[in-house]
Amino acid sequence: MTPTLHILLAICLAPALALVLLLIPSRARLLREALAVIAATANLGLVATTFGQQSRIELPWLGTGFDLSLRVYHTASFVTTAAAGFGLLVTLYSLPFMRKHRAHGAHYALMLLSLGMANGAVFSNNLLLLLFFWEGLLGTTYGMIAIGHAGAFKTATKALIISGVTDLCLMLGIALVWAQAHTLTMTSLRLPLEGTAPAAFVLLMIGAISKGGSMPFHSWIPDAAVDAPTPFMAFLPASIEKLLGIYLLSRLALDLFELTPQSWLSTLMMVVGSVTILLAVLMALIQKDYKRLLSFHAVSQVGYMILGIGTAVPIGIVGGLFHMINHAMYKSCLFLTGGAVERQAGSTDLASLGGLGRKMPITFACFVVAAASISGVPPFNGFFSKELVYDGALERGTIFYLVAVAGSFLTAASFLKLGHAAFLGPRDKMHDGVREAPGAMLFPMLVIAGFCIFFGVNNAFPIDQLIVPMLPEHLIAEARSAGTHFSGWPSNPTLVAMTAAALLGALINHGFGVKLNGSGLHAADHIHDSPGLRWVYDRAERRWFDPYELFMRGSAYFAQAANKIDRANDWLVVGLGRLAQFASRGVRAAHTGNTSAYIVWSLIAATFIVIYLGQ
Amino acid sequence: MLTFFVLVPLLVLLLLNISWRALPRIVPQAAVLVLGFADVVFGLALPSLPVNSEIPVLSELHFGLVADDLTRVFLVSIGLVICAAAFVNQESMTTERSHRNFCSLLLVSLIGMNGAVLLSDFFSLYVFLEVTAIASFILIAIERGIFAVEGAFRYLLLSAVAAMFMLTGVGLLVFTIGDTTFSAVHESLNVATGTPLLLKMAVGIFIVGLFIKGGLVPFHGWLPGAYSSAPPGVSILLAGIVTKVSGIYALVRIAQDVLVSDPSLSMILLVAGSASIVVGAIAAIGQSDLKRMLAYSSISQVGYIVLALGAGTELGIVAATFHLFNHAIFKSLLFVDSASVESRIGTTDMGKMGGIGAKMPWTGTTTGIAMLSAAGIPPFSGFWSKLLIVLALWKAGREGFAVLAVVASVLTLGYFMVMQHRAFFGKPSAQLDSVKEASAGYVVPAVVFALITVLTGVFFPLLKDSPLSFLLLNKGLSW
Repeated sequence: MTPTLHILLAICLAPALALVLLLIPSRARLLREALAVIAATANLGLVATTFGQQSRIELPWLGTGFDLSLRVYHTASFVTTAAAGFGLLVTLYSLPFMRKHRAHGAHYALMLLSLGMANGAVFSNNLLLLLFFWEGLLGTTYGMIAIGHAGAFKTATKALIISGVTDLCLMLGIALVWAQAHTLTMTSLRLPLEGTAPAAFVLLMIGAISKGGSMPFHSWIPDAAVDAPTPFMAFLPASIEKLLGIYLLSRLALDLFELTPQSWLSTLMMVVGSVTILLAVLMALIQKDYKRLLSFHAVSQVGYMILGIGTAVPIGIVGGLFHMINHAMYKSCLFLTGGAVERQAGSTDLASLGGLGRKMPITFACFVVAAASISGVPPFNGFFSKELVYDGALERGTIFYLVAVAGSFLTAASFLKLGHAAFLGPRDKMHDGVREAPGAMLFPMLVIAGFCIFFGVNNAFPIDQLIVPMLPEHLIAEARSAGTHFSGWPSNPTLVAMTAAALLGALINHGFGVKLNGSGLHAADHIHDSPGLRWVYDRAERRWFDPYELFMRGSAYFAQAANKIDRANDWLVVGLGRLAQFASRGVRAAHTGNTSAYIVWSLIAATFIVIYLGQ
Repeated sequence: MLTFFVLVPLLVLLLLNISWRALPRIVPQAAVLVLGFADVVFGLALPSLPVNSEIPVLSELHFGLVADDLTRVFLVSIGLVICAAAFVNQESMTTERSHRNFCSLLLVSLIGMNGAVLLSDFFSLYVFLEVTAIASFILIAIERGIFAVEGAFRYLLLSAVAAMFMLTGVGLLVFTIGDTTFSAVHESLNVATGTPLLLKMAVGIFIVGLFIKGGLVPFHGWLPGAYSSAPPGVSILLAGIVTKVSGIYALVRIAQDVLVSDPSLSMILLVAGSASIVVGAIAAIGQSDLKRMLAYSSISQVGYIVLALGAGTELGIVAATFHLFNHAIFKSLLFVDSASVESRIGTTDMGKMGGIGAKMPWTGTTTGIAMLSAAGIPPFSGFWSKLLIVLALWKAGREGFAVLAVVASVLTLGYFMVMQHRAFFGKPSAQLDSVKEASAGYVVPAVVFALITVLTGVFFPLLKDSPLSFLLLNKGLSW
C-alpha cells in the first residue's frame, strides 16, 4: 500500500463506514455494532502502522496552487494512534451502554466520523485543511451531545456556539498567518513573534485551547457531562479533543512560531494554564454529581498541559505533552467508571450513591487507579507528568508552581470526596441489587487502568519513545547539553516532598471534613463555606462567570433592543401608510368633479408659468 | 413615402364607410389590426437616420414630415396599443353599431397620432392633435353612459382651453420668428444673444397646452373621469398612447430640438413633473375603483417622463422616451387586465374582486408583472427606465429631484401593493366561485405585453447594440 493511499484510507475509511452504518436498519443492531467495532479496529490498525514512517503527500486541488498537503511523522502517528485506541475502547464500552439508546446508529456513526476528522486534522500539513477537519469535529460534537435526550440540544447549541466562536478566532489567526507568511503549509512555517505574528499566535492559541477545553471556553463541558451520553464524554472532551487541542498548541509553540521563554506569549499561556487549574478544580470540589465533578477536572487538568507547554522550557513541554496522554487515559477511564455506575445504579447523583465499592469491585479498583493518577500519586503516570510540569513551572516562576501544587491538593481532595461518596460509606437499600458492570464495559476500563500503571512504573518508555521525539531537534539538543533527563524518578527531591505534603494535606483535610460535616459527600463543605470563597461559589453556581451565559444574557438585551427598533420601524411604516391614506383623502376631497374648478386650476397654473417666464 | 402613414388609414377609413352594411364585422376589425401592425413593422424597419419628405402641394405651408428615432419609438407604441385596443374592443363592445363606429374612430385616432408624430412644425402638430382629440371625445362617450358623457364633456372643455393656449403659442411663434417648424425655433433659440422673451413665452404657453393634454398636475382634472368612465378598449387607447402623443411627444420634441437646456423652461417641467408624481401617487393610494386608480397612476408615471425631460440633458431625453415606451406597455397591460376582470364580474370596484387572481391566473400574473415594472423593480423594463431617469437627474445636478423620484417610487409600489392586495391576492370570496379566466381577446394582448416587459427588462443590457437600440434613440450613452 502506498503512503498516499494509506493516509487517505485512514481519513476516509471510518467516515465511509459511518455512512454505511447509517444505512443499516435499527433492527439489525448487532450488525451496526459489529460494523462499528470493525471500523474502529481498522482505523486503529491503519494509523498504528504509520509509526516510524516519514512522508509528505501533496494533493493539488483544482489547479489553484493550493495543495491539500498531508504529512506523516512521529507526532501525528502518536496522536492519531492514541485517539484511535480510545475510539476502539469507547466503541467497545458503548456496546452495552448504548444498546437501548434511541439514537444508537447516530452515536456510532458520529464516533467514526469524529475519528476520521481527528485523523485528518492531525495529518494535515496545511492550516486551512486542518481548519476544515477542526470544523468537522465541531459538527460531530454537536451531534453527539444532541442525541443525549430531548432537551440536550440546548447544551449542544452551547458547545457549538462557544466552539464556533473560537474556531472563528482560529480562522482569523490562519488569515493573519497567510498575510504574513504567504503560505499555510505547516512545515514551511516558522514565524518570528513580531509584527502581527503575536496576534496570530493568540488567535490560533484560542482555537487550540478551546478545543482542549481550557477556561474560559470550558463552560459547555460540565453541562454536556449531564446531558450527553457518557461514552461521548470519555470519547471527545476527555480524550480526543484534549489530544487535538494540545497537539495544535504544541505545534504552535514548538514549530509554527519561534516561542522563547522570554516571550510574553509564553507567560500568557502560563497564566491561562494556572488560572484554569485553580478555578476549575475549585468548581470541581463542590460538585454533587459524579460526571459533572469529573468534567470540571477535565477542564482543570488541561491547565497543567497549557502551563507545561507555556513554560517553553524542554522539561515543561515534555511534562505538558506527557500529561496530555496521561490525562486522556485516566480521565476517559474515570468517565467510563462513571458510566458504569450510572448504568448499574441508575444515577450519578452523589447524594443517592454510596457503598458501591463492594458491589462493583472491578469498577472501584479502576476508579482508584485513575483517581490516584489524576491526583498525582506515585507511582502512577499522573505523578510523573505533573512533576515534570512542576519542574518547568518552577524554572519560570514560583507563583506558577505554587498554583499548580495547590491545584494538586484540591484535585486530591475532590477525588477523596468523590470516591468516598460513591464507593464507600453507607449504601442505600435501593442499591442492594446493584451488580458489577458487563465485561464489554469493564474491559476498556481495565485496559486503560493498566496503561496508567504501565506508563507510571515504566515511564521511560512513553517519555523517551513517544514524547521526546515530538520535540524539535534544537530543544532536544538543549536539554541534552544541560544534562536534563526526563524519564525515571523526578530529579528534584524537594518537589517530590512538596507533592507528598500536598497529598497528605488533602488526606488530612478530607478526614477533617468528614468529621466536621458528617459524610464523604460533604467533606469539602468547609471549603465551600469558607468566608470569601462562599461568595464566589454562590455566584459561580448562578453562572455569573460563564462567558456563554453572560453573552446570552447580553444577547437577550440585544434582542429586546432589536425588538424595540423593529416596533419603532413598524410604527413608522404603519404611520407613513396612515399619512399616505390621510393625504390621499385630502387629495380626493379636492377632486369634486367640478369642471369649472378644474379649468380654474389650469388657468391659475398657466398664469404662474407665464409670470415665471416673464421675469 | 412617410405620407402613407396618414394617407393609407384615411383611404381605408373612407372605404370602410362607403358600404359598411355589406361588410362582415371582422373586416373593420382586421383593417385596424393590420394598420396598427403596419405601424409597428414600419416603426421597426425605418432607417435610424432622419427621413424627410414633404407633401408637395402644401410645401409652401411647411407640411414637412420627419421620421427619426423618436418617431420610431412612438410609431411602435401607437401600433401596439391600437392593436390591443382593437382586440379588447372586439370582446367588450356589445352592439354591432358601436363596434363599427369604434373601429372607424380608432382609425381616425391612428391618423391623428401618426400625423402628429411625423410632422415637423408646431401648427400641423396642433392640427393632428385635435384630430386625435375629437376621435377621443366620441370614443369615450361611444356607449352613451351618463358618466362617460360627463367625462367626455370635461375632456372636451379642457381640451378647448388647451387648444387656446397652443394656438396662442403658435401665434406668438409666427409673430416673433415668422415660422413654426421645430428647426426654425431651434435655430432662433440658439442665437448667442440669449432667448428672446417673446419666443420663450411662445414655447412656454404652448407647453401649458401640452400639460393639459398630457394630464399633468394641476392640469389633470379631466383625466381620471375620462379614463375610468370610458369603455375598456378606449381606456387602453387613452392611457396607453393618446395622452402621451398629445402631451408628451411634443414636449420631447421641444426638449430635443428647442429647449437647449433653458433653465427656466426646464424648471417648469421639473415642477410640473414632481407635482404630478406625488399628487398622482397619493391620490391613487386611496382609490377603491381599479380604473380610477390606474388613471391616477398614469398621472404619476407621466410625471416621471416630464421630470426626466426637465433634466434637460441627452440622457434625460433617452430616459423619458424609454419610460414612455415602457409606460405604454405596462399601463396598457394593466388596463387590458382591468377589462378582463370587468368582463367577468361586471365591475371595476376592487372591493368586489378580492382574491380574483386565483380564479384568473393569467390576468393576475400579468398584472403582477406590470405592477412590478411600473414600480421599478428589476428585472422588469420599468426598472431600467426609472434608473435612467434618476441617473439623468443626478448627473444634471438636480439631486433633489432625483431623490424625490426614488422616494416616490416607494409610493408607486405602495398603491400597487394596495391594488394587488385588495383585488388579486388572497382567497377568492364565495361570489367569485363561477368566475373563469377571461377570453383570448383579453389574455393574448396581456401576455404579449407582459412578455415585452419581461424581455425588454432582461435583455436591456444588450439593447444598446441591438436593432432595437432606437428605443434608446440610438444614443451610445455611457452611464
